[in-house]
Amino acid sequence: MLLGWTGRSRRFERDALPHLPALYRMARQLVGAESADDLIQETYLRAWKYFETFESATNCRAWLFRILRNVWISRWRKNRLELPLAEAGDEQVEPYYDWEDEFLHDEMSPDVERALSELPSDYRIAILLADVEELTYEEIARVAQCPIGTVMSRLNRGRKMLARLIRTYGGARGSSPDREEFLRRKS
Amino acid sequence: MMDCKNIREIVDLYVDGELSPEATVQANAHLAECDSCRRTVDRLNRLRQAVKASVGQYQPTAQLVARVRKSTITSWLRPTIWIAAAAAMLLIAAAFSFTPQVRSAVANGLEFVAFHVEDSRATVMEGKLLCRECLLKDEYGYHALCPTRGHHGSLQTKDGKIWHILDGDASEELIHNSKLLGHTVRIHGRCFRRASSIEVDSYEVL
Repeated sequence: MLLGWTGRSRRFERDALPHLPALYRMARQLVGAESADDLIQETYLRAWKYFETFESATNCRAWLFRILRNVWISRWRKNRLELPLAEAGDEQVEPYYDWEDEFLHDEMSPDVERALSELPSDYRIAILLADVEELTYEEIARVAQCPIGTVMSRLNRGRKMLARLIRTYGGARGSSPDREEFLRRKS
Repeated sequence: MMDCKNIREIVDLYVDGELSPEATVQANAHLAECDSCRRTVDRLNRLRQAVKASVGQYQPTAQLVARVRKSTITSWLRPTIWIAAAAAMLLIAAAFSFTPQVRSAVANGLEFVAFHVEDSRATVMEGKLLCRECLLKDEYGYHALCPTRGHHGSLQTKDGKIWHILDGDASEELIHNSKLLGHTVRIHGRCFRRASSIEVDSYEVL
């Protein structure tokens, strides 16, 4: 039995632990700096518990993100009131946005973070998995447990919403008390 | 050949590298000729980079990495765990063949193991107080010592799980006051998940 555990530990260390920084980035965006450590700890405890069910030929990072999302839903999200998302096939919720405006500027990291934090969480997860972790649509669909078409829809609407929010904050740069408050809380 | 409308429809797939090779060739052909669509692709790419730069700056602390390692892989390799587990097995075996005094020692030993085999976390738990020995008697015909030693309170949470209440000043009444049995209580304390045990800081009867 001890040998079995040792082999499992070695595989866990090789396959699962290297993804901790990626999971931490996501956890921080979902629950904030104060609770990110707890979300990570619980995710890895669950991953360790069910590691035997992980198929080594598949993507361990996507498997871990799926666990993280499930832990987050069961422990954190249920405490927050969030409006349901319109999915593919529903009416367009985001006003038409044509990418024509110049919304990006230097030193915009706080604006991006604030805009991300205001996106509906399913849009935010899709964007983070695609843009930061560079997962394929198929992998994102597996993490979010939804069809690929829904992933496409979330990315399309989420990015437009994100650009619009960043542009709004950029316009109010330096004068918005909300932005000052956000920066103060961040520091 | 794609037009501007087609590009706007597939621009996310284009920047994410999800288009088929044929569609990518067609998109590239249009982009080579259209300034407006090139700007769209450029802005979307810059947005992606800005998200990556903004989120990618955060790294887990060394303490978190150590904590995760400790609670998963190394917890099963530490020899103290195996020694504690072996000691617990011996104590359990002894419990079936010796006197009530030995059973009490077994309980204390198991509590010692519970304290040392894992990290605990602060928790608030709600559930019904039930006598563990009576439950075992009803379920498995266990020879309960309740008539001579009194009942021993344990907490049953809504999911049906039975939590052992660790001995302590704050838990005295919960464990030994049989009048509380059957009542719903809320316990504030620390939870030892793998040992299915709780250490009580305070409690309230609901």
